[in-house]
Amino acid sequence: MGFDTILQILIQGLNMGLIYALAALGISLIWNATGLFNFAQGDLLTMGGFVMLSMFAKWSLPYPLAFLLTVVVMGLVGYLLSQGFFFPMFSQGIHPDIIIIGTISLIVLVQNGILLTWGPHPQRFSTPLGDSPVHLGKIIIMPYYLWNIAIAVVLVIALQMFFKKSIIGIAMRAVAQRPVAASLMGVRTNQLVALTFLLATGLAAVAGILIAPIIPLTPEMGSIVALKAFAAVLIGGLGSFAGALLGGVIIGVAEVVFATVVVPTYKDVFIFVILIAFLLFRPRGIFSSEISEKV
Amino acid sequence: MARLAYLKRIGATQVIFLILLLVPLSGIPSYQFYILERGLQNVLVVLSLVILLGFTGQLSLGQAGLVAVGAYSYGILCVNFGLSPWIGLVAAPLITGLVSLALGFPSFKLTGPFLVVNTIAFSEIVRILILNNERVTGGPFGLNGIPTIATGLKLYYFMLVVAYLAAVGTLRLGRSHIGLAFKAIREDEVAAESMGVHVRNFKLLAFVISAVLAGISGVFFANMAGYLNPDSFTFNESSTYLLMVVLGGMSNVAGSILSSFAVTSLPEALRFMARSRMVVYAIILLLTVRYSKVLEIENFKRLYRRFRPVPAAATGSPSADHPEGKL
Repeated sequence: MGFDTILQILIQGLNMGLIYALAALGISLIWNATGLFNFAQGDLLTMGGFVMLSMFAKWSLPYPLAFLLTVVVMGLVGYLLSQGFFFPMFSQGIHPDIIIIGTISLIVLVQNGILLTWGPHPQRFSTPLGDSPVHLGKIIIMPYYLWNIAIAVVLVIALQMFFKKSIIGIAMRAVAQRPVAASLMGVRTNQLVALTFLLATGLAAVAGILIAPIIPLTPEMGSIVALKAFAAVLIGGLGSFAGALLGGVIIGVAEVVFATVVVPTYKDVFIFVILIAFLLFRPRGIFSSEISEKV
Repeated sequence: MARLAYLKRIGATQVIFLILLLVPLSGIPSYQFYILERGLQNVLVVLSLVILLGFTGQLSLGQAGLVAVGAYSYGILCVNFGLSPWIGLVAAPLITGLVSLALGFPSFKLTGPFLVVNTIAFSEIVRILILNNERVTGGPFGLNGIPTIATGLKLYYFMLVVAYLAAVGTLRLGRSHIGLAFKAIREDEVAAESMGVHVRNFKLLAFVISAVLAGISGVFFANMAGYLNPDSFTFNESSTYLLMVVLGGMSNVAGSILSSFAVTSLPEALRFMARSRMVVYAIILLLTVRYSKVLEIENFKRLYRRFRPVPAAATGSPSADHPEGKL
């Protein structure tokens, strides 16, 4: 195996990894704001991909406009879900396990809604860069890999700026650290939770748009992607921005390396075994954040 | 009073099983009979979740994986090794129990969402292994020609007897010292441990008992279908089982049995809506969870008490005995 092959594997892995990282960031954000896990994140990702499919491939809107519209539409979906479903349950103090079950019934709803609207067949669309492979020296890569990596990197930098500089981002971090203190300082929790859901769903939609050229969209693909995003969150460290990013990239690269070097059919098993091992031996992940268990 | 509540609870289960005993004799059409059979098969999984989630408070989404292990070990023992179905019937649940140790061992440290992630991963691993070991399991083409214990009404009554024993066993388990230890773990793990409950062992025990029940359900599934395919044991199945238990009131045996029949027949009852039926079904489930606070059995009891002119001393104790739906 030469240097070119390694580079090629790394580019592919980085590409998948950044997509998982975007979904993982959404999960991590929601965890920070509410202490809840949204298991439907993977299916919101699929839905984002399908909305893009309608706008870009069916109605042939220009790519940037379709991209933006999809993110806005999915962000609104996230906002409505938060206001109508999650926040009322969250503020009533319903047992978190019941809310988890609620997100699971949301999975059933979204999957079947997609099945009803877009049908069961795998569908894909490409990027403006097209589908013909690019030769860079000895490496042959598909153009959408570069496209995806570029978009994901820009988005991650923008998010980092948002959390460090903007007042809303700072408020979000404040709620994550000390919810009570933040609300005493005048942060409106319900607005912030809704905003977090909006952001998380928007991120999932971007991941859905980016994944479509690589893995054809099917209604039930969300569960596996969600599980990998969870693996990314848990490996990286729950509630940590860098952790979700690093975890996603680790998962993506590990998956591609295992598929190339060992056997492609068991790549998912490999990831899940890593996940279980992390849950067992290092449940706080690499960047262990300050999460104290109630004892 | 506690004794009375116990008799009342046993009573509801008896009535349900008496109805189930009589219904097929009325000569219902074969399609409805099939749904009844499926409901009965689901009752076993739901009882397994009553023990795991209702009693012990361990939220699991790996139940379909365990049902798959039971169904496939029965199928493989009978088809590949040519054993008698009766041996398969006994061996498959035991194998499932053993396999569940692989799920239980990584799980006893975990709670809530982490446990859910772990159980989903287990279920997916089982599914991928079945899908890719074509020589043993038939892979995506499925496992064909599985011999059955019995067919038609005989199988139904056999399943009914097993389900009845499982239901009564679950009720008794809930009252035994083991069940009380389970419930102590559900309420507060640390307090339970400090009161002398060996949390790890009891959690493992809950996993194994629930796996054996899921395995029996898998054997019945193989018997009813005569054909196994990994598509029958997906994440969707696991979530449906979970919703059945939630609608049934978590640790309420009679309620869970009723809800497993209701949820099994709901998509069939909505069949006239053709393609959108699963969406409607999902919305019903979503609304039930969203308003679970309103729908809680406690609230109905409170409402009932308000309109009933009895002295206050007679009320309260059954509900205090059974903190239903609290997890």
